[in-house]
Amino acid sequence: MSVQDLTNAIISGINAGGEQFLEGTLAAVLPILWLVLIGLHLGRPYILTMIDRFTLRLGADLLWLIYVALRDLLIVSGVIMSFMFFFPDVIMTDALPITGGLAAVALFAVLLVKLTGDPDHSLRDFRRTTVLLGLGALLYFIPYVLGVQASFSFSPLLVTNTNPGLAVVLAYVSLALLAVMGAFAIGYALKTGGRAEAREMASNN
Amino acid sequence: MKPDDIATAITQALIQGGSQWVVSTIVAFLPVLWTMTLVLHLGRPYILRTLRRCGLRLGADIWWMSYLLMRDALIVVTFAMSWIFFLPNVVVAAALPITGSLATLCLLLALAVKLSRRMDDDLQVYRLVTVFLVLGATLYYVPQVFAVEATSQSYLAGFVKAFTSNTNQGVALTLMWIALAGVAAVVGWMFVRAWIAASRTMAPHEELPQPQSTPSSREPLPNVIQ
Repeated sequence: MSVQDLTNAIISGINAGGEQFLEGTLAAVLPILWLVLIGLHLGRPYILTMIDRFTLRLGADLLWLIYVALRDLLIVSGVIMSFMFFFPDVIMTDALPITGGLAAVALFAVLLVKLTGDPDHSLRDFRRTTVLLGLGALLYFIPYVLGVQASFSFSPLLVTNTNPGLAVVLAYVSLALLAVMGAFAIGYALKTGGRAEAREMASNN
Repeated sequence: MKPDDIATAITQALIQGGSQWVVSTIVAFLPVLWTMTLVLHLGRPYILRTLRRCGLRLGADIWWMSYLLMRDALIVVTFAMSWIFFLPNVVVAAALPITGSLATLCLLLALAVKLSRRMDDDLQVYRLVTVFLVLGATLYYVPQVFAVEATSQSYLAGFVKAFTSNTNQGVALTLMWIALAGVAAVVGWMFVRAWIAASRTMAPHEELPQPQSTPSSREPLPNVIQ
């Protein structure tokens, strides 16, 4: 083996190992992220009770704004970190939950409901976001707990790199759903021009 | 192999591998930045809806300011990190989306529109920025997902070869130079515009006599002092 061969081997090791480490870290953080964002969503009554106890309007406003920012930024982070479920090479190499891409689609759907509706004041929209978050969590945690982190006889079916055919098909389905919803969000933005009152105006018209 | 040879190999590997690692990390991080940029831009109605429910002006101001800072800073950071698409050696050596440079140009065009027009007050300008951002994101995502990250899919082999920079070097470099010319033109226009705007707004103040240059000196003095 020459010096150049050894150099090339180490470079390959650094790059492949670094990439897998990054993806592994993302995969390890995602369950925590899912749990926190569901906790924040379901903790809304607790926050509202606390807001009622404030004697100063500024404190109440700040608490609500921090809560909303944290909750919604976590949902955006969840969608972004789930992008690896849409990359065929990654899902064929790494052990990821097989329906992780669909879970990301459910998260994106939550963002879409928040964009076009008003989950903090409309019961119907709040229920929609709750159902979508619950569905997304199930799609993520079932294959994660019973597939990636377990050794049952059916576990390989729930993991991307041991069931690559289905994993790639699900990735494409998720991508198609994401593209449709993304197109809807873009259409909404172009139609409303980024104004908040567009929905009320549309309903008035 | 002697110990010195191994030391040389490890040193070279750390230097070359480290630089490749930095490039690949930037490439892996760019979809995150693009998505965040798009989400924050498209989420404007939601931000405004939340803002209107603030009881106090201070809370609303903090909310809006945080949103603006994050949204616009992200576009600048995404543009800065996309600079790797304009480095010929990197474009030829690394597996990058072939239209990444054009996507970066779209991002700069969105920034230029924001700089020259009041996007938050003008409906048409918001739509124009949306078009640039969506076009840029599409030019980035499609080759990234179906070419750079799909080398294991044999049925996509043709697409992978055509849309990855290091397997279609001629086209990649051509697109890069075209995009770079576009970037130079836009930056040049921004520079000239800033120069003219500064000349218009600052020169008259400098030419006026000093006592009249401050707003307070033009206001009538209170009767007590007079």
